[in-house]
Amino acid sequence: MRRGYTPPRMQPKLKRSELDGLAEFHSLTPTKVEALLDLANARPSRAEGLRFLGLCLRIAGILSLAAGLVFFVAANWARIAVFGRFALVELVLVICAAVAFLKPPPSFAGRGSIFLAFIATGALLALFGQTYQTGADVYELFLTWALLGLPLAIAAQWSVASAAWVLVLNLALVLFCGWHPTGGMLWILFGGTRFQPAHLVMGAAWVNLALWFLFEFWSVQAVPDWVRRLLMSCAFGFGTWAGVMSIVEIGYNHDGPRNDSLTFVTLTLAMLATTIYTWRRKADIYPLAVVMGTFIILSLTWLGQLNGFHDEGMFLMLALWLIGASTAAGRVLTVLHRRWREEAA
Amino acid sequence: MSAVNREFIALLREKGVVPASGPEAPEVTADRPWFVSLLQGVAGWLAGIFLLVFLGMVLKPDSSVALFILGSMLLVAAWFMYHADRHGAFLDQLALAISIAGQLALAASVLKDHFSALGASVTALVLQILVLLVMPNKIARTLAALFATAAWVYTVRFLVRPGSIESIFFEERFANDAASGLWLLPVAWLLTWLPLLALAGWLILREPQWMASGLRQFARPMLTGVLLGLSIGTIVAEPFTMVILGTELWGRGIDWLAIFPLLSIALALFAAYGAFRVRSNGLLGFAVVAALLHLGRFYYLYGTTLLWKSVIMLCAGAALLLAGIALRNREADAGGST
Repeated sequence: MRRGYTPPRMQPKLKRSELDGLAEFHSLTPTKVEALLDLANARPSRAEGLRFLGLCLRIAGILSLAAGLVFFVAANWARIAVFGRFALVELVLVICAAVAFLKPPPSFAGRGSIFLAFIATGALLALFGQTYQTGADVYELFLTWALLGLPLAIAAQWSVASAAWVLVLNLALVLFCGWHPTGGMLWILFGGTRFQPAHLVMGAAWVNLALWFLFEFWSVQAVPDWVRRLLMSCAFGFGTWAGVMSIVEIGYNHDGPRNDSLTFVTLTLAMLATTIYTWRRKADIYPLAVVMGTFIILSLTWLGQLNGFHDEGMFLMLALWLIGASTAAGRVLTVLHRRWREEAA
Repeated sequence: MSAVNREFIALLREKGVVPASGPEAPEVTADRPWFVSLLQGVAGWLAGIFLLVFLGMVLKPDSSVALFILGSMLLVAAWFMYHADRHGAFLDQLALAISIAGQLALAASVLKDHFSALGASVTALVLQILVLLVMPNKIARTLAALFATAAWVYTVRFLVRPGSIESIFFEERFANDAASGLWLLPVAWLLTWLPLLALAGWLILREPQWMASGLRQFARPMLTGVLLGLSIGTIVAEPFTMVILGTELWGRGIDWLAIFPLLSIALALFAAYGAFRVRSNGLLGFAVVAALLHLGRFYYLYGTTLLWKSVIMLCAGAALLLAGIALRNREADAGGST
């Protein structure tokens, strides 16, 4: 099996600050700085620029069309009958499928049309709920969209489609954990007194983390490093949320968080697993930065909870802790970044 | 010096860009990825606020003069810390927190007795420009450039349409006489963004020139800050647009004003192109996220119906797609003919 990835950030290219340093140290003239930038491949050529612009325009075009479709369904235009509305969205789906069949991915037409089909699936589900007033919670719409759209996200073989799928899934998780609808199919399983809200939030964190680990071990071109970073950010976004809930005792039932060792253990495990794996891979320091950010926020919340904000000493302590912790984190991350980049070279 | 640098220096020597003999350039120690800078910037800001609250509770500076002295002393202390640690990264965070606390105290001293929305905007702008010029630190300068952009947006907003500070976020009164002042919107938009677009464009095009001069220490953070500001700055400008359109106009029929949020997306895409030109993946990602945020704002805000928004997006999508395909075909033709 091919190992994960070599993120662009760890490639041995000189960064702008290093080039600035060279220009300053050698007192280079503008002509020589131009040569320096060209040799470092730090400035894209005209052809590269046009290629980037063309790609940007095409992606922006696809996203605009997708937004237009969603806006249209949301507008709930009364002049078109129910049948017509369904037919319109389904027609879009059929056209997208036909284009993808004729020009399959990885061609841009194939990718773009499957991405549009993914968006149209969500629009169709929303239209269904809007028309028949199914009584489903909003999270159920997004969760169903994520499940039904998964084959499309896979078929698109495109990082943009993968990222869109991750966003839809996480929106469903945020709505499920955050709105406490105490309804819907998942709340039958996870509601009541069996699980504390922080456990559910931590569960959402682990869903993202599991996906991150999966794509770390199983290299897929459609899930490049930036999509994995998105998964990592979502994972520890939920992790931080659960940790803060546990510390400030929000959302617990009358027993309080006294017996909530589950959140503490699973969050610590998530942080340790990520740190150990990243340390061994020596490829990208982003996961470490996210773990450190989570640690800083949680420790700050815990310190604030110790004595409240009643006296000035607490503010000084929080300021000093923030300064110390972020300095240490920044120092460790910078050194590791340089060292790993050196080793990758 | 790292192997990467050594290899590159050898190439530069071979090509005659740097002298064949002579000392090697020292390693850039303050170089850090964008997310580390983000983590440190946010932490520094928060620490600065905590520090200012602490100093306020202990010293109780109740006059403008006392606040001014406190703010100035903090800024001077921050400058010395940055200067003493300019080749390291140990005092950076402390200096950033002290600098933020100093800026807030100084702004409070100016505004304490003569508070106005325009005054607050101009004070913030002047302070940020001062920090950009004086503080010997890249993160401090970048943050200053970003906040100067936001302050500039507000300065133009309150110059064109004077109002109170309470009206920054929600002002609906202008909805009643929107027709008399509709011309203000494009004028203010151009006044706000054209100088920033010109500055970013100039900095990108003239990069070799300023890199070869002492300007590089200001120009690099300024370019980063302005690109960030162009990406997200229109969200800061949101109140201004609210002032012009007003919430009472939501859902009314289409008029030409509905295209303005799309201009925010265009600004973010310009920033994305700028980020590509300086090969910054962090800035590029930020600009793309900002463009998506603007799209979300377009859905919820602004004076037209969802149906018209849908038509606008479909037309814009088709136009963008066609332009992108035309560019690709042109590129393919050029590749085929060479």
